[in-house]
Amino acid sequence: MEIYEIAHAAGLVLVFVGILTIIIAGIGLFRLPDLYLRASAVGTSAGLGVAAIVAGVLLMDFSWLNLIKAIVAIIAQLLTSAVGSMAIARSGYLNYSLPAEITHTDDLMKTRRDNFSK
Amino acid sequence: MSADTFHPRGPWIWRIITFLFWYAKEFILANTRVSLDVLRPKGRQKMSPAIIAVPAASESDAEWTMISNFITLTPGTLTLTISREHKILYVHGMFVDSREALVAEIQEMENRMLGAMRRKPGDLSRPVEAPVVEPVDDPEAGDIQ
Repeated sequence: MEIYEIAHAAGLVLVFVGILTIIIAGIGLFRLPDLYLRASAVGTSAGLGVAAIVAGVLLMDFSWLNLIKAIVAIIAQLLTSAVGSMAIARSGYLNYSLPAEITHTDDLMKTRRDNFSK
Repeated sequence: MSADTFHPRGPWIWRIITFLFWYAKEFILANTRVSLDVLRPKGRQKMSPAIIAVPAASESDAEWTMISNFITLTPGTLTLTISREHKILYVHGMFVDSREALVAEIQEMENRMLGAMRRKPGDLSRPVEAPVVEPVDDPEAGDIQ
């Protein structure tokens, strides 16, 4: 039963790492200044948090069927959080959501006909 | 192409394995960096965001999709859009000290990823600075800008 207990403890640690990541992502939602920083920092951190929780639960209750389910769930979670972040950020840019003041370079603005920052 | 750019070498399976481990390392490092900066008190935060046009070497649909996904999946960097015609990735970065630093980071990731996705990496050279894309007067049908 030795290996079972080690896996159980490692699973607990992973679950708590995931919870911590999601809490920090939530704090980031309030503290970051604009849409793009929130999408890049928070969108995928939250995805990672869920992935860590799934991996932790897998370690606590391991079976080969659960392993396959967990791999599919993690890949789907990471892919959808990345695609979702890109869609939100792009639609925000097309809908005149300006980057925060501290953004020092903006190459994408040069490609816009209306140049809405000026 | 600068001389110190990473170029993938070795057999295909080795390139795949090194890319996965390298990406996992970058992913965890970026996560800690972003989390620490989120928790730092206002006024001492180190973020200096920017949107940079990064020249890319991807060719097929799958390569463009995967490189945009990998960039977005790394916390702190985000692909806003791509221009396949001009071969540019528009990347929003959270910690951009200079244009060259972000371009080098993204191009190294792309080199390693293309090395893992292609049987033979082929020619991966591209400029450091992207061409300036001016808006065209006659946009394609359905192009809302």
